[in-house]
Amino acid sequence: MTEFDDKLLDILSKVLLVEKEEITDDLRRKDFEPWDSMAHLVIVSEIENEFEIFFEDEEVIELWTVGDIKKVLGTKLSS
Amino acid sequence: MTDIEKILQPVQENPTYLNLWSAYKKIQSLGLPVSEEGDSLSLAVIGSSTLEPLAACIDVKTRLEGFQTTTFVGGFNTYRQEALDTNSPFYKSEPDVIVLSVDAWSVLDQQFQAIFVRASEKDRLSFQKDLVNSVASVVEVLEKNTSAIILVNNFIAPVFSPLGIVDSKQKIGLKHFIEGANSALVDRFLKSNRVFIVDLDTVSSDFGKSRIMNWNTWYRGSVPFSEDFTPVLADEYLRYIRALKGRAKKCIVLDLDNTLWGGIIGEDGIEGIKLSNTSPGIEYVDFQRGLLSLYNRGVILAICSKNNYDDAVKVFREHPAQVLKEEHFAAMRINWQNKASNIAELAKEINIGLDSMVFFDDNPVERAQVSQVLPEVLVVELPKNPRLYRETLENLKVFDVLSLTKEDLVRGEMYAGKRKRAELEQTATSIEDFLRTLDLKVKIQPVNDFDTPRVVQLIGKTNQFNLTTRRHTDSDVQNFRKSEDAVVYSMAVSDKFGDEGVVGVAIVKMKDSDWWIDTLLMSCRVIGRTVETALLARIVADARAAKAKRVIGEYIPTKKNPPAADVYERHGFGMPAETDYNGTSWILNLETDTIEVPDYIELQED
Repeated sequence: MTEFDDKLLDILSKVLLVEKEEITDDLRRKDFEPWDSMAHLVIVSEIENEFEIFFEDEEVIELWTVGDIKKVLGTKLSS
Repeated sequence: MTDIEKILQPVQENPTYLNLWSAYKKIQSLGLPVSEEGDSLSLAVIGSSTLEPLAACIDVKTRLEGFQTTTFVGGFNTYRQEALDTNSPFYKSEPDVIVLSVDAWSVLDQQFQAIFVRASEKDRLSFQKDLVNSVASVVEVLEKNTSAIILVNNFIAPVFSPLGIVDSKQKIGLKHFIEGANSALVDRFLKSNRVFIVDLDTVSSDFGKSRIMNWNTWYRGSVPFSEDFTPVLADEYLRYIRALKGRAKKCIVLDLDNTLWGGIIGEDGIEGIKLSNTSPGIEYVDFQRGLLSLYNRGVILAICSKNNYDDAVKVFREHPAQVLKEEHFAAMRINWQNKASNIAELAKEINIGLDSMVFFDDNPVERAQVSQVLPEVLVVELPKNPRLYRETLENLKVFDVLSLTKEDLVRGEMYAGKRKRAELEQTATSIEDFLRTLDLKVKIQPVNDFDTPRVVQLIGKTNQFNLTTRRHTDSDVQNFRKSEDAVVYSMAVSDKFGDEGVVGVAIVKMKDSDWWIDTLLMSCRVIGRTVETALLARIVADARAAKAKRVIGEYIPTKKNPPAADVYERHGFGMPAETDYNGTSWILNLETDTIEVPDYIELQED
């Protein structure tokens, strides 16, 4: 696992109250109760602070799964 | 390790916002029952923005200090409805502590900043009045409907003003507008014992106003404070909570060499140590001045130093720059024993708990020894650079009290009196002989407005000579005072060594022809001077005058109150019977028995 993955999983695990090992790319906001709007807000701001990036409002709404987060984050960090 | 301890561990190691938030959510998911114990705390955070993150940080930080906290978080900008609807879930949570955080911009017109620029002085004043009233009226409702302490954030004075550098050339510039509103808030609640205006503006300035907001989370979710600032702000409320729950520190124990002065007195001599009103040595003088200011408002000072006693006291007596003198210290241990046992002895001599003590020592080895043996003592991580000592002292923020009483302001002198009294006791041939030489004077009366805060303070913190340990709040005491079937007595004590002020409290409830002593307590400072007999004699005399037949006292044992176990028996009460909480009730029959004031105690009238 890369350092990048580990930092992201650390945030997700702490906000969503699941073990890192249990977090899969298809974990979906709509199907997972702890991932409410407040948790989403915290996840987004923690990622922004940790990776020094910025999400547009539209991007925040379109983050439906862990896979989505990884994809957008990957794009932002490589550009 | 319990579930809670496991959850709190990452926060203890690294108290970041993310860890605090995570711990909060985990604890919430446990669905713990509301605690009924003495360490329970019911917190409510309401206001004009998204306050769950702030509430989470306060909640977890109180848990780190051992509280069992239940937290209610108000909805977004619904504080007004929550306060007005007495059936709201907010009131159902029965808060002990309410945090009210209202942003000035949420109350003012949306275009306020633009309107303000062209508004007349009169209009500005009227906007200011409306702003203050809008928040104050909610606070007044909360004060009426709860018995909580209410912590109200003041407004943050903006760094930017559209008026630019001439903001301060106007009678009410934008900054002045907010500062004026803040002082109006303070004035409005100056007399309240339960409403406190939290100086959010100063806390923000200290942290850096440009860093208190995260504009992304503000626009996305109306979260009013940044991730870095929220935990810092939470600490500010902890100060009030510690003071409310009797967790504040009372005593500073000081090392001498390289702590109160630079160098080692035993080696460098009185001319060689660094202690002066100019550099080098001014930083030590400044540190001592900081200590003296805390002493003057009631913090007890003591010394624990490895030194030859004569070398050390020579500095107190002869050094021209020495600020603190022997009379400022309630007790001293200047010897070659290990520091932990010295501190344990100091606690005994001063008669306070180890958990009320703070230890300052430049030597990390000494600090580690004390931390290890006496984990209750707060051991300060003193920086190596003595120029930072004073700042370290000022940043501790652990000595807070909710009200500053007359007794706080002269506490130091009382302890000096205590030391002299102890010397006299050693020379007297009998206890009564000793008491006779003290010239004891006692003043007992139904408590007046002036002494009520002190009475509430004593009820909140007295542990040893406290017969029932009922922690009545300020509003309970006010209700007893208003009731026709209850009396709240205060007792002030003085002797030839000093005036102790109000040190005793009794609350009596009348039922038919019985007078029940609900509360009887005395500060540990006056234990052994038999003044409790004078207090009981007054209750008995009043009961007799009111044609009561019996006076009934109660003793409820706790870990700390064995010194009070035999009070009723000693005063001729009989017929012990079991009551709730393992208590015992004792009866004094007024037809056959009475209690007299000892002849060596002079009763003072108004």
